[in-house]
Amino acid sequence: MSEGFPQKRKSKFRELCDMPQLDFSVFPSQLFWLVVCFFIMLFVMSRFIIPRTAEMINLRKAKIDGDLEKAAEIKRQVEQALEKYNQALADANSRAAVSLQRTKDELNETISRRQAELTAKLTAEIESGEKKIAASRDKAMQKVEEAAAELAVDVLKKLGFSGIKSKDAANALKALKKDKK
Amino acid sequence: MSSPLEQFEIKPIIPIEVGGVDISFTNSSLFMVLAVVVSTLVLGLCLRKRTLVPNAAQSVPEGLYEFVANLLRENVGVEGLRYFPFIFTMFLFLAFGNMLGLFPYAFTFTSHLTAVGSLSIIALLLNVVVGIRRKKLGWLRTFLPRGIPWPMAPLIVPIEMISFLSKPFSLTVRLVANMTVGHIMLKIIAGFIVSLGVLGIVPLLFDGIIICFEIFISLLQAFIYTVLSCIYLGDAIHEH
Repeated sequence: MSEGFPQKRKSKFRELCDMPQLDFSVFPSQLFWLVVCFFIMLFVMSRFIIPRTAEMINLRKAKIDGDLEKAAEIKRQVEQALEKYNQALADANSRAAVSLQRTKDELNETISRRQAELTAKLTAEIESGEKKIAASRDKAMQKVEEAAAELAVDVLKKLGFSGIKSKDAANALKALKKDKK
Repeated sequence: MSSPLEQFEIKPIIPIEVGGVDISFTNSSLFMVLAVVVSTLVLGLCLRKRTLVPNAAQSVPEGLYEFVANLLRENVGVEGLRYFPFIFTMFLFLAFGNMLGLFPYAFTFTSHLTAVGSLSIIALLLNVVVGIRRKKLGWLRTFLPRGIPWPMAPLIVPIEMISFLSKPFSLTVRLVANMTVGHIMLKIIAGFIVSLGVLGIVPLLFDGIIICFEIFISLLQAFIYTVLSCIYLGDAIHEH
């Protein structure tokens, strides 16, 4: 270093060049130890420190991603359930509507059937009543005719025509009635 | 008053000579070893208890990890993550080397051209190896970018070569100059503390401020060195 130079020749520039930082005589030692230290550190870092750090970071990332995925999965499930619920609701509604319609139809049918039955029954009753009326009227008419025939026989007997049977009188009355018509 | 440069003096601790080459274990070497040991210890202790939800200690190495990983992703790309351990180690080695040098009576090996230069040479060799492995002979294109007419080659090739070789040199000088200036400043101002007597409180406070500033600078310079190394690595991997 500076020992080799006489004191008077030591200019400012020379002094600067004597900076220990620029002393290249230590270069082999510096290079050797730096390479040794750097590669030992590289080994330690890449074998122990970096994997241990990365492990946790990756685990955390995986966990967060997993959680996000799980959340998405749950959301999907919820959506599916909601859809199912809506579907079930719509199904139930349509089923209810169908069943309501059917009940309505059944009721209508029953009502109309009952009405028809009742009508038929009433008609039948009316008819039978009319028949009875007609029958009793016929009977009454017949009795009137019989009475008229007997009356006619009695009148004729009183007038002196005996021997006329009530049957003949009835026939005569019938013939008379026919002529009138 | 001793010279402010005295603190940079390299003194052999264990003289070693192999084949006529002096590779003595010096105070500089000691602090390189310390940088390795301290950084490993700090990170190792921080990683002792690891939990999925990071605790305060754990977030130190994890923060560093993410920081360097992002640096590589941004400057080199995803393929750059292959060189993650190298860049990570480089950053820590320099950061701890710078910081350890700030302790009183400590030695700052990052203020030495030969020490940082050696690291830059390692980085340069990595760049060359990576470049040749990825591009084979195409790596020579580094010195003659595509689209340059052949007659220009005699002019361009030397320029590109100088530019290529000046990268580690600029890296080295930037770091060394920053560290040296900071330490000289600390030392000179510290000299005033004693000589000014009672008024020495002023340079003392000033030194305190500078120390804080130097801590910031030591991290910043390690960061800059690492970023630039990443960019150069990116150049080695991609066409330019």
